[in-house]
Amino acid sequence: MYVYRIMLFLVFGGYLLSPMLMSGWAVPGMAWYRPFLIWGALIALSVWLEQKRKLDEH
Amino acid sequence: MSISLAGLTALVVGYLALLLVVAGATRRGWIPARVVHHPLVYGLSLGIYVNAWGIYGSVALATQIGYGYLDFYLGVAGAFLLAPVLLVPILRLTRTYQLASLADLFAFRFRSRWIGALVTLITLLAVLPLLAQQVRVVGDVAHLLTGSASPALLALLFCALVAAMALVLGARRTHLTADHASLVAAVAVESLVKLVALLVLAGVALYGVFAGPGDLQHWLDGPGQSFQVIARRLDPGQWRTLLLLFFAAAFLSPHMFHMAFAQAPSRQALLQSSWQLPLYLLLMALPAPLILWAAQYRDVAPPQAGLAYLVFTLFDTPGLAGLALLAGLAAVCGTLIVIALSLAGMVLNHLVLVAHPPGRHDDLYRWLLGLRRVLIVAVILGGWVFYRALGGEHDLASLGLVAFVGIAQFLPGMLALLYWPGANRKGMVCGLIAGSLLWLAGQWLPMLTGWPALLFIPPGLELLAGEPVWYTVTLISLAANTLTLILVSLVTRTSEAERAAAEACSVDAVIRPKRLPLSARTGEDFKRHLSDALGPEVADREVDAALDALGMSPQESRPYALRRLRGRLQANLSGLMGPSVARDIVDRFLPYQQGPKAATDDVHYVESLLEAYRSRLTGLARELDGLRRYHRRTLTQLPIGLCAFGDDDELLMWNDALARLSGIAGASVIGARRESLPAPWAGLLERTFERPGSHLYKQPVELVGGTRYLTLHTADLAVEDDERGGTVVLIEDHSEMKWLEDELVHAERLASIGRLAAGVAHEIGNPITGISSLAQNLRYDTDDALVLDTAHQIQALTDRVSRIVGSLVGFAHGGDRGNAGSRHATLDVQAIADEALHLIRLARSGQDIEYRNACPAALTVQGDAQRLVQVLVNLLGNARDASPPGGLVVVDARRHDGGVRITVTDAGHGIDASIRDHLFEPFTTTKPPGEGTGLGLSLVYSIVQEHHGQVRVESPLPELGHGTRISLWLPQAPHADRDADEPDPDR
Repeated sequence: MYVYRIMLFLVFGGYLLSPMLMSGWAVPGMAWYRPFLIWGALIALSVWLEQKRKLDEH
Repeated sequence: MSISLAGLTALVVGYLALLLVVAGATRRGWIPARVVHHPLVYGLSLGIYVNAWGIYGSVALATQIGYGYLDFYLGVAGAFLLAPVLLVPILRLTRTYQLASLADLFAFRFRSRWIGALVTLITLLAVLPLLAQQVRVVGDVAHLLTGSASPALLALLFCALVAAMALVLGARRTHLTADHASLVAAVAVESLVKLVALLVLAGVALYGVFAGPGDLQHWLDGPGQSFQVIARRLDPGQWRTLLLLFFAAAFLSPHMFHMAFAQAPSRQALLQSSWQLPLYLLLMALPAPLILWAAQYRDVAPPQAGLAYLVFTLFDTPGLAGLALLAGLAAVCGTLIVIALSLAGMVLNHLVLVAHPPGRHDDLYRWLLGLRRVLIVAVILGGWVFYRALGGEHDLASLGLVAFVGIAQFLPGMLALLYWPGANRKGMVCGLIAGSLLWLAGQWLPMLTGWPALLFIPPGLELLAGEPVWYTVTLISLAANTLTLILVSLVTRTSEAERAAAEACSVDAVIRPKRLPLSARTGEDFKRHLSDALGPEVADREVDAALDALGMSPQESRPYALRRLRGRLQANLSGLMGPSVARDIVDRFLPYQQGPKAATDDVHYVESLLEAYRSRLTGLARELDGLRRYHRRTLTQLPIGLCAFGDDDELLMWNDALARLSGIAGASVIGARRESLPAPWAGLLERTFERPGSHLYKQPVELVGGTRYLTLHTADLAVEDDERGGTVVLIEDHSEMKWLEDELVHAERLASIGRLAAGVAHEIGNPITGISSLAQNLRYDTDDALVLDTAHQIQALTDRVSRIVGSLVGFAHGGDRGNAGSRHATLDVQAIADEALHLIRLARSGQDIEYRNACPAALTVQGDAQRLVQVLVNLLGNARDASPPGGLVVVDARRHDGGVRITVTDAGHGIDASIRDHLFEPFTTTKPPGEGTGLGLSLVYSIVQEHHGQVRVESPLPELGHGTRISLWLPQAPHADRDADEPDPDR
């Protein structure tokens, strides 16, 4: 259940802060793939939490 | 560029044929099951979300609002990241109650057919723009690639093909979920096609147009800057509202609900999709800006059909254009097919069957299947009609937004369903109507008719007037929907049935079904009752399927089991005809009986649900559940039999000790009525219940192992402030105590006889002494040989009588164990054996048995003579009883290992192997009831232990193949000659 709370915190935090993503569109000096990197990191975290949840359940 | 009409047709037909092959191969088992049922396949199938808007519209959105296009993907990704707390509870409900659509779920939760119909109607209205969006893409692309003058006709032909495809994929059987493996596989292939096609196009854009990511970055930092100024930045409020819309669409749009829940193979697969789908969406989102920037880099002008189709102008080669077309085709096909399947089910269950209940049909399944097929075709063609009715003014984004705002109207209801048991049907209906009317007036009708949007902006929110219509309508309609739902639910009454359903749906509550009796008494009864509604054949099939699923027999009669059967049947019928119709049928034909007493909770079922919910409990609830488990364990593992009954005499608990005692497993009787328990329990408990609060002592009961003596204590569980009452019964097995008491009585009787014998012996002793003295005097007074012989015989006989009397007196006094240690003396083994044999010969039984004392003279042991005689008497008695007529019993002794080994050997039937290991335990006997107490050998063991000796049993004898030899080893008397020890290979 604690795993779910982390995910709830991340998703709602992401919901509130996500408009900042838009500021990265074609800004000079800023990597164009930055939003995708952040997204990918969130997925990696999700995979890790899913593994942790599986261990918790067994 | 252009593609011929024939080429386009060949691509479409070829693609559909590929899907057919995949579906057919799955259905026939050509694809290994581990592949078909792999969670990744299910995860891919959820890519159905990426429709034509996702494929083509993202490029247009990226042009207009930059990274704002990511909302379409991030909203859904967020919903799936929350799968464990948001989607898994929905999956649990849909699987438990066989709910195939959102309308099913709402109709089940709010116990209202009107809600089912309302949800279906609003879904239909919301989905029409989405269907039109898909059809429009087909028309636009056909026009763009072939230059055809009649794209609408081509779109109609395409819709006809897709409708046929939908029938093959999803309407071969009656149950919505019956074809799920082939449908999931086909949709997964579609998702894969979309992904591969878009990634190839993105690769070409990145490495074909640009020279890699570095080059792209260089261009963006330099000349590319000028192209980006047209991209406006979304207001954060609009961004978040869009996110919310797509978040809601992830599980409320009919096609996503169908794939995520109705087709989910397992909870585990859904949990894995919590990262699989976001990853898929990331890969699908990546190509849009790359294609856009490549087009800007090459200064490609958007095609006439709109920015959305920029990809076809950028990749002006048949192969790459074909890939772009294939991606769109896959998106459109999948979306149309799955929406048609899910919507047809909703319309059938909540509009058609509610308006025209099924009644008795010769073949109900075929009738339902026919209706579903008609509805599938109607939904797809309805999309085409709506596309034609809309004309060509609306772009993909505006069509999509109208659909998603409509779908979002279910969000307040869904959140209430999961997290607020206080919401009721009136609140749900009012909220949904309020929100939907605002949506229809603000977006849907203006889109269809071209009328200006009718916006109801409440006072204080005038600043919304200048915002985009979709944004204003979303905020106002969702606010009105939510507030109305809450207010109406708070001020109106919630029915009992609705409250029970709310508990079943709520994440934080456990369903608490009531313990009500059914009018149907057995599984067979269910068939008879249901045949009035479904016809005998369908009733038989449905009841048999439910019985199979629960592992019950048609003769099952336990009320608890019948209630589970009723629930399973309702769930199965819900999968067939929707929850409203299923509930009507079950309530009408399988009604509960209302007794004079208020029904109480189905405690056993609630407990089984709590067991399943364990991993979901946290904090105080988890602590309390831990305590509940501890107390339950205390009762179930109590070493005394315990059973508990409800007020209605239904068995609620049957603990482990009682299961062992009775030989009846708890699972087979829990939920049964007291009077229907197997014999002798029903009668025994009936006697107990005749006098509540009473005790029944040592009731003889015939059980598997023989007669047992049970003591029963009852207690009333009723208390003032709890409706749960009943009776608890403690059942103690007092058999051994009863036998011990019997044995004590027997022993006391023997002791009385012994005292009597001692008294008699004393009385006889004086005359015998007199007779002996007289006989001796006679010998001195005569020389007559005949008289002398007679006197000698009289003396010999009086000696014998004296010995007998002495033995009897000695044996009668032999039970004084308190002084055993003080009476140890050096004893002659042969003499002891003689005395024991003498006593055993006095018994009337065993007169035909030959006894032999083979003990050598001068062999001595240290011990209590009377107790050792008692040991030998017991052993000789057993040997006598086991020996056949004319058999030989030998007592032998020899020096051995510092002591003396005395053996009693018979040639009888031997000792049964089953009791050999516990031969010396009390009450172990092979003799018929009444002939042996089972204490003799126990006494032998005890006495030999007191003498620091050992006992061994050998049976059967190796030399005979039968017979028994009991060996006693006793310490030698201190002065005995130890040099004479004989080796014994046995020790």
